Amino acid sequence: MISTKNIRFSYSKEQEFIFPDLYCEAGSTLLITGDSGKGKTTYLHILAGLLKPTKGEIVIDKTDILTLTEKSTDRFRGKHIGVVFQKSHFIAALTVLENLEMASWLATGKKHTKRAKKLLEQLGIENQATKLPSQLSIGQQQRVSIARALINEPKVLLADEPTSSLDDKNAEKVIELLTSLSKEYKAALLIVTHDSRIKEKFINKITLI
Amino acid sequence: MITKLAWKNIWFKPLNTILSVILLTSSVAIITTLILVEKQFEEKFTSNIEDVDLVLGAQGSPLQLILSSVYQVDSPTGNINYDSAKVWMNNPYVEKAIPLAFGDNYRGYKILGTTHDYLVKYKAKLAEGKLFEKNFEVVVGSEIAQKLNLKIGDEFYGSHGDAEEGEVHENYAYKVVGIASKTGKVVDNLILCTIPTVWQMHHGHEEIPAHGEEGHIHEEGDEHQKADLTLDEPNMEITAVLLKIRNQMAKLTWQRVVPQNTKMQAASPAFEVNRLFGLFGIGVTALQYLAYGIMLISGISIFIALFNTLKERKVEFALMRVNGARRFQLLKVVMIESLLLCVVGFIFGTILGRVALSMLSNSSEEDFKMSFNPYEFLWQKEGALFLVTLFVGFIAALIPAVKAYNLNISKTLANA
Repeated sequence: MISTKNIRFSYSKEQEFIFPDLYCEAGSTLLITGDSGKGKTTYLHILAGLLKPTKGEIVIDKTDILTLTEKSTDRFRGKHIGVVFQKSHFIAALTVLENLEMASWLATGKKHTKRAKKLLEQLGIENQATKLPSQLSIGQQQRVSIARALINEPKVLLADEPTSSLDDKNAEKVIELLTSLSKEYKAALLIVTHDSRIKEKFINKITLI
Repeated sequence: MITKLAWKNIWFKPLNTILSVILLTSSVAIITTLILVEKQFEEKFTSNIEDVDLVLGAQGSPLQLILSSVYQVDSPTGNINYDSAKVWMNNPYVEKAIPLAFGDNYRGYKILGTTHDYLVKYKAKLAEGKLFEKNFEVVVGSEIAQKLNLKIGDEFYGSHGDAEEGEVHENYAYKVVGIASKTGKVVDNLILCTIPTVWQMHHGHEEIPAHGEEGHIHEEGDEHQKADLTLDEPNMEITAVLLKIRNQMAKLTWQRVVPQNTKMQAASPAFEVNRLFGLFGIGVTALQYLAYGIMLISGISIFIALFNTLKERKVEFALMRVNGARRFQLLKVVMIESLLLCVVGFIFGTILGRVALSMLSNSSEEDFKMSFNPYEFLWQKEGALFLVTLFVGFIAALIPAVKAYNLNISKTLANA
């Protein structure tokens, strides 16, 4: 589960973002919507511990991640936070399976090969395991990044516009996989999006203004 | 895992990698070859002049005298009268004097008339057989024995002078009585006999028949034709004398006194060899600069390759950070990539340098009877070269690695 309180952030003196508090239970989904420039991606980066807010509190599984040092934040993020980005990026020199192994090794020091294979199977791309990421279609790449986000069984799964570059069919499939897998792995799923195709599918919504 | 990633990254851009490795390989190869050649060359040259303080020979270029009489690579400066040489050889300052008389060659290998002291000086023992005692008995150097497959009891004819194609002396045959042990010095490539052998071989043409007429009262005169010459024969010529001197002063003064009073000269091998190294030194230094220049270029090539790929890999690195990688681990990936390139380049370079050396050795063996050992490892110098190579890799990777370390993940991902 994840909850935030009183998050403020500013890139410069003139503009300050005040983000609404949020709370999301393990296994449930929360949508964060809003127009461009309202700080959706910024909020997601703050939640992932990639940006430090000027003020506030983010509690993930009883740990306030803003009190951690940079090094422990890196480690905490690797272990407990999974992120899916709008465009998928991978380590180009490694195969799909090696990318997943690298993600688990960086976070935990162990290569969870079995779990990686199981995830690829659940996402229906087990036959792509030995290919390079660049050889996959965009839809398949997005599924690999979901697998990578889930490889360490995180407490929180953050998705930044996960469907915006996909066609209707693939978008639906990705959303379905995200919700079902986050339930199975008991992760709180936060989706940042302005994609109207998925807005109506969820009840829990926060809109940034 | 980080090393594996670095390794995979290297080969993901094979062209960049191959360029860097080729540059590194060539510079390391040149330096390795130079290090080995210089060391082994000096070793060969200095080991051969051990116990030779002065060389007595005909006037002319002192360097030529040294090269011909000590290293057997040049033609001799001329002949000297053995009787006048004896005056100096018997001087109380002289600890040991080894006379040398150049005669014929056998298939390009020099046949050298000398005394048993010559073998002692080079610490050559007999591997087989006995020492040469009578005229036309020869002891063969180990390398010749091996190459020409000579065995005890074999007989052969020599060709005149030092050219393989010289006139063949067919009136006398040399007989192999001994084979010397391997020393790694010039003696391995020489055929040794007594000095009178050389005299007799060459006097055979004109003088000896007359000699035989008046001097031979023996009954078997017809079979023998002439008596064997000995070292006591007056008015004979030799080529040079290797001298070991007791007195330090004499070493210096003789170099001046001998040419002033006789038709001979006394040259110091140590001095001439130093002069020779001085001449070589310029070439070696120039090549070294060239090699380090290439190494600098390979460093720049690694830097450019890393710097360019860093732009493309920013997002990759940001992602690794999202997955829990620490700043230091990114720095490590970049650093290890560069160092791996250097290690690969060094390994190839050491191998290539040795291949080059063995080819060089083959040709110098043919031309100068001097071979190099490509399997020798000079841990100290090559270790230093390895460290220099790694240092180049370290410097080349420094800026890209620090950039990876300081990467702003949020900004990189937002712009991706």
